[in-house]
Amino acid sequence: MPELFATLSPQDWQAIQLTLKLCLYTTVILLLLGTPLAWWLSLSHSKLRTAIQAIVALPLVLPPTVLGFYLLLLLGPHGAVGSSLEQLGFTHLAFSFTGILIGSVIYSLPFTVQPLLESFRRMGPRPLEVAATLGAGKLDQLFSVVLPLCRGGFIVAATLTFAHTLGEFGVILMLGGSIPGETQVLSVLIYDHTEAMNYAQAHQLSLGLLITAFVVLFIVYGLNRRFEREAVL
Amino acid sequence: MNNVMSLFHTAARQGKHRQAATDEANQATPATAGLTIALNIQRGAFTLQLNNRLPLQGITALFGRSGCGKTSLLRAIAGLDRHPGATIHFGNTVWQNSGWQQGKTFVPVHQRRIGMVFQESSLLPHLSVKQNLLYGFNRLAKHIEVQLRPEQVIQLLELAPLLEQAPEQLSGGQRQRVALGRALLSQPQLLLLDEPLASLDQQSRGEILPFLQRIANTTGIPMLLVSHQLDDVVKLADHLVLMQHGRIHSHGPLQQQLLQPELAAIGAMSLLHAKSSGSKQHLLQLSIGQQPLQLPAPLHAAADDQSQAQTAYRLRIQARDVALSLSKLSDSSVSNQLQVSITGFSPAPHPAETLVQLSLAGQPLQALLTTQSVARLGLQIGQQVYAQIKAVALD
Repeated sequence: MPELFATLSPQDWQAIQLTLKLCLYTTVILLLLGTPLAWWLSLSHSKLRTAIQAIVALPLVLPPTVLGFYLLLLLGPHGAVGSSLEQLGFTHLAFSFTGILIGSVIYSLPFTVQPLLESFRRMGPRPLEVAATLGAGKLDQLFSVVLPLCRGGFIVAATLTFAHTLGEFGVILMLGGSIPGETQVLSVLIYDHTEAMNYAQAHQLSLGLLITAFVVLFIVYGLNRRFEREAVL
Repeated sequence: MNNVMSLFHTAARQGKHRQAATDEANQATPATAGLTIALNIQRGAFTLQLNNRLPLQGITALFGRSGCGKTSLLRAIAGLDRHPGATIHFGNTVWQNSGWQQGKTFVPVHQRRIGMVFQESSLLPHLSVKQNLLYGFNRLAKHIEVQLRPEQVIQLLELAPLLEQAPEQLSGGQRQRVALGRALLSQPQLLLLDEPLASLDQQSRGEILPFLQRIANTTGIPMLLVSHQLDDVVKLADHLVLMQHGRIHSHGPLQQQLLQPELAAIGAMSLLHAKSSGSKQHLLQLSIGQQPLQLPAPLHAAADDQSQAQTAYRLRIQARDVALSLSKLSDSSVSNQLQVSITGFSPAPHPAETLVQLSLAGQPLQALLTTQSVARLGLQIGQQVYAQIKAVALD
């Protein structure tokens, strides 16, 4: 459908770029934060674990507006974080890319942690015990056992996080508004186009997102099947 | 004689290297190789309380019912579980110390010179057989002297055809063999085997047992074998540690330990050490002390074979396969009639039966008779009688 994309405006392209940047940053940050968190959750027997697990899962059930609202209070000029930043000579984080990045990280947290937790549990402690009895220290175990054995979990976690951030709307609208180049991601722009009755433009972006989301999920489920077969042993 | 002669044998074992191998072990690991363990674990209904020194030579079996703490003990020795307050010394090496005089020490698993084989397949699934075998070998510290080279282990365990395969392509028995080889290649001073046969069917067990014996015979690395199968223990072990309710009930040479009433209750049997003087007409000529014994020779051996002369064999004899008579029977099909003396009587699990303890040229032998027969023959301690041995398993 070349004629469909020929009509993309510079504003549309800017939104596409911004969205991809947000998704990429969110995915990288969440893999770095989510791995140790999921690892701890898979091993811990402490009572704190239940509480942490519930907090991690919160974005699954809360309306994104609620999350966005509290983040706006916290990161905005009168919030604890926002006002502290201003006192230190920085700007507050509401209506900024950093702000929606923080929102995305929190909003997509369960989509990173759950697949990782699942793959760590499926691996179980035995391969690590084996590696230890054969002389591998902790870091060695991470690279020679955990990463290769949980490869599927990492790929699924990364893809789901990326895809979920792609579809983020409520948190960004509450926290970031719709500033082109800063916070106006695809989902927000589609909303703006629709409000302005630009149905054709809204449609081509919507269709693009729809297809992208389908392809990503198709890949995830394909990988899931493959790694489940691998994990049978 | 109403019993059909039922002599049979299992895999024959050449035991002549055993003693030499044990001597080598003493050189490889200091003569003091033994485990000193003090442990006190209480977790709900589970307790494990030990304060023992276990000499380690050849194969030592940790035997007891499920849940008696065998695996927990093995994991504590390996360092996989850390129990505060425990003391574990291997020879002169301190693996864990907790007393405040000696200071606190805990050597992490990967720095203990152990090899461990787990109950179920524990091959790393993302690595080939070859990569699995070399996983520990490639991580050896520089100062560790390599005594077992990969090609030796591959030959010893007959792994050559498997090297390029993935673990998932192997049978259960093959996986355990690879796991054994992998553990050996990490040059351990102690091999810990946590029921390595438990997840295998009868046939696969048969494929592993001879290899365990071969490792003990040729490498001389002391082995600690957890098992709840008395049969496996009697086939393999030199020493037996009997565990009950989280404590070590007793430990000692297998031959003596088999006399423990707790073991007799599971299935009274005896272990005899015999020497062969070769075979004649497919019959293996054995002697225990001055007493001769004949058994069908292994099928693959020649009818008359002198190469087996002076080979040591282990004979497993069920107490219910031993009958007693006051004189040597000439009209019986049982040809193995050995002169023994009665050393004691003990109750058998069945109320109508009695276990008779015998001495055969100084080695203990047990016979399971009905109490009625004991009374009818008027058997008494010190009496010389003849033992008719109806079935023997040969290792």
